Amino acid sequence: MDLTTVTIEWYIALSAILFTIGALGVLLRRDAIIIFMSVELMLNSANLLLVAFAHHLGDATGQVLVFFVMTVAAAEVAVGLALIVAIFQSKKSIDISEVNLLKG
Amino acid sequence: MGGPVLFLILATISVFAAVSMLTSKNAVHSALFLILNFAAIAVFYLILNAPFLAAVQITVYAGAIMVLFLFVIMLLGAEESAGVLSTRTGQLTAGIIGAVLVVGSFIVAVTQMGGTAPASVVADTRPRTLAVILFEEFVFPFEVTGVLLLVAVVGLYVMSRKLTNKERMEDA
Amino acid sequence: MNAFGLAPLLLVFPMIGVIFNGWFGYRFVRADAKVGEKWAGFFSTGMALLSFVIAVLIWVSLLNDHHSHIIPLFDWFNIQGGLFRIQWAFQLDTLSSTMLLVITGVGSLIHIYAIGYMHGDKEFARFFSYLNLFLFFMIILVTGSSYLMLFVGWEGVGLCSFLLIGFWFDKPDGVGWANSMAARKAFVANRVGDFAMILAMCLTFWVFGTMDYEPVFESAIEMFKAGEEVVLPWGTYSLGAVLKWITFLFLVGAAGKSAQIPLFIWLPDAMAGPTPVSALIHAATMVTSGIYLITRSNVLFEIVRASGDSGHLFGNISTPDLVAIVGALTALYAGLVAFTQNDVKKVLAYSTVSQLGFMIAAVGMGSYIAGMFHLITHAFFKALLFMGSGSIIHGMEHGHHHLHDHHDDHHGDDHGEHPGEDHHDDFDPQDMRTMGGLRHKMPTTFWTYMVGSLALAGIFPLAGFWSKDEILATVADNPDQGAVFTFVGWTLTIAAFCTAFYMTRQVKMVFFGEGRHEAVEHVPESNGYMTFPLVVLAIAVIFAGAINFPKIEFGGGEQAYAGVLAAVAPAEEEEAGLIPTLALEHWLEHSIESYYLTNKADPPVLEMPHWPTTLNFRVAIQSSIIAIAAIVLGWLFYSGWSKEEPFAKDRLEAIPVVGSVWLFFQSLPFDRLMINGWVETIFKPMAALSERLDWDFWHDYVHNNLIRDSFISVADVLSNAVDPDGVDGVVNGTGKLIGAFSTQLRRIQTGNVGNYALSLFIGVTVLVVYFIFAS
Repeated sequence: MDLTTVTIEWYIALSAILFTIGALGVLLRRDAIIIFMSVELMLNSANLLLVAFAHHLGDATGQVLVFFVMTVAAAEVAVGLALIVAIFQSKKSIDISEVNLLKG
Repeated sequence: MGGPVLFLILATISVFAAVSMLTSKNAVHSALFLILNFAAIAVFYLILNAPFLAAVQITVYAGAIMVLFLFVIMLLGAEESAGVLSTRTGQLTAGIIGAVLVVGSFIVAVTQMGGTAPASVVADTRPRTLAVILFEEFVFPFEVTGVLLLVAVVGLYVMSRKLTNKERMEDA
Repeated sequence: MNAFGLAPLLLVFPMIGVIFNGWFGYRFVRADAKVGEKWAGFFSTGMALLSFVIAVLIWVSLLNDHHSHIIPLFDWFNIQGGLFRIQWAFQLDTLSSTMLLVITGVGSLIHIYAIGYMHGDKEFARFFSYLNLFLFFMIILVTGSSYLMLFVGWEGVGLCSFLLIGFWFDKPDGVGWANSMAARKAFVANRVGDFAMILAMCLTFWVFGTMDYEPVFESAIEMFKAGEEVVLPWGTYSLGAVLKWITFLFLVGAAGKSAQIPLFIWLPDAMAGPTPVSALIHAATMVTSGIYLITRSNVLFEIVRASGDSGHLFGNISTPDLVAIVGALTALYAGLVAFTQNDVKKVLAYSTVSQLGFMIAAVGMGSYIAGMFHLITHAFFKALLFMGSGSIIHGMEHGHHHLHDHHDDHHGDDHGEHPGEDHHDDFDPQDMRTMGGLRHKMPTTFWTYMVGSLALAGIFPLAGFWSKDEILATVADNPDQGAVFTFVGWTLTIAAFCTAFYMTRQVKMVFFGEGRHEAVEHVPESNGYMTFPLVVLAIAVIFAGAINFPKIEFGGGEQAYAGVLAAVAPAEEEEAGLIPTLALEHWLEHSIESYYLTNKADPPVLEMPHWPTTLNFRVAIQSSIIAIAAIVLGWLFYSGWSKEEPFAKDRLEAIPVVGSVWLFFQSLPFDRLMINGWVETIFKPMAALSERLDWDFWHDYVHNNLIRDSFISVADVLSNAVDPDGVDGVVNGTGKLIGAFSTQLRRIQTGNVGNYALSLFIGVTVLVVYFIFAS
């Protein structure tokens, strides 16, 4: 394995690590805002990989996809934060372990 | 793709920022670590021949979105975050999932893409070019995204407005 | 061109009548009695007349072609490719044609009569439905080509007889009950004969392998000629020994249907039925089916007669001899009992039994022609007499009704009432003791009744004279036949005396003298529906003797026997003369195979007694003297019946010693034999058996133990095990299973976002793992 040049594998590994950290954040944290941040982190790891592949393949299309991801992320954050605010207004807490109205 | 040293430095910063974001007790700290992470990734974009994206990353992500986060945190006074999942089983499960995701996705990506030589040409990534691609090849997804944003706006309105008394009665 | 193919129509027409009256006529009468009766009655009569037309056409066809014609309709049974094969087929020959003409002809007249007689009965249509059904079965009986088809008709007419005797089963005051008892008695008494018929048919089939007349007779003759023995499962017998039992069983069957000793007891009781029924079924047609059966089976009877010792039932009495003896005894006994009957129909009923005895005696003596001749003439004059008696009863009924109501219009007031219905006082419209002097009130009835009575008494030149004379002449013409014939001859002569005597008594009591009841004063003549058949039959009775005039040879008895020998000569030579002589004989001999086997075969196969062909002056004069003597005696004996004491003891019974003889006759234990002997003998073991079988075994054991207990145990298992554990288990188990499953499943739905996220990531992880191994 050649450590002298940065190949696409390096980015894959970095992206996987960041994605996993984000996933662990979603799984482990109970704070809704932190969970949202973790989701953002996961999205960014995906974006990073898209850009890396775009560079690797010499095709700008991957970068265009990033725009879409960012748009979706922005919308998600807007709606998600509104949800958090709404939950907070009723529960006075943003601990998701207390949000279980859907319990069967 | 940049030099290994630069990559490792940036990677270390971004991973550190991510882990710190995850482990911080204070939600504001988490947000700031995430901004750091985004900044590192923005540098990666520059390395990866995506200057426009790097700029967008900084302005939109690190700027607008994260300001929104901070604003909400501050608004709700939720700096003291709820902490981590405390059950051992939960942590174990999360650990296993994390390990599998890291190793597994790496293995998958490598076996799919490993050893391929990078393209000899460097893509034209000027904003104009990107715009052309966006509005020629992806004009339909673009429109759909617009609709998505519209839905988000409407949803926000619905959730944030106060119910009238009459509607309250009806809900009850 | 012949009309044999029309034979099925003989059955179709009456059946249409049955269906019409059964389905529609009933409603018509109910809706509007006046119009409905017209429809029901005339439709039914029309169907009978159409059958008569067909019968005439068949007769005309047979005139040109005397041979028997088999008209098959369909296979009734066909088992194992012909092993047991019965065809539903008509056998049209001169014998069945003769019977057909009598049945449909007299039957049609009685239908017309019944329109008048049954007027006002609310069950008018049912009556005609039964009448047509009777015709249907009677036609099957006489036209069937096999014993089984005969049996179908045999049972069918028995059924109709039952239905019609008990027709007024719903009359009030216990009368209906008595009627249904009479019907039941007739039915049960007939069962005895029918059982014998079944045995006879089984035996016939066993011996000959078929039940069709012609194959049976042919193979019987072949076997007789060859002297073959019959192999039955339990032994080998000579043909005569087997046939004597078959014919004996036929005799028992005939005794049941034709009311012979000891089974005649049902016929007097059968008078409970409406009078047209008595005229049609119990005088003219059904009761003669026994004579038809024996005539039809003449070959079997004659083989027994010719078989010598093996054909002897006991002593040296063979079955035909027994037939003759039974007939003669019945004729005498019934004639004697008729002396002291006071019911106008009962006299005729016993008279019928007596006359049937004459016929049976005739066929028993091998004089089938004489038997059939008497059957025909008897059908005419006895139907006439019965219908006359019905007219009398109807008249008395009206008279009494008029008297009772003081009503001016005696024709319009009897709607909804039966003739002969019981009134509140004890008046019996059938009791001759209350009658008298009716000749002025009912002139048509009187004159026709006189014709019938004189014919029955055997007065020259009416039909009864010729036919009865031929029977008696059979005895005289066969002096070589031994003691049986002599006995039968004397018995029948005495019976003939009785006949004339009781008929004189009846006529005297009914029509002459003074009326012994006020009702007589108001008796009207019956209407045209009733008198028309009387007149027609009276004319028929006067001339019916012409169908079989004997040849008249002057010169004494010995030459008369020579005339018998001349009968061997071909029939064509005898067809000269002003009046055709022996028409019936020449007509029927084509159907009586034993005639050919005796007289035309060389050497003769059978030894049939001679048929009288010439007028036997000795017999004729003798019987005429006896009849006239009986009439004079009877007239004198019963003249001056007291008006004040109509119910005084019968004069004959009042004579010290002689009267007790009649009391003895009347108390002869035939009824007891039937009721206490036969019925009890059968009944007691049957009752015991039914007690055992029905109650102990069937009810107690089978029902309680087998059926009930097993049912209960099965139900126990079902209710205690299968239902709660099985059905409920499945149903509840499904619910419980789903409940338990969903209880577990809903735990997944914690509502905790983290858990959802966790499962999402588990899924992602699984996918990743999948891709690892997939790549």
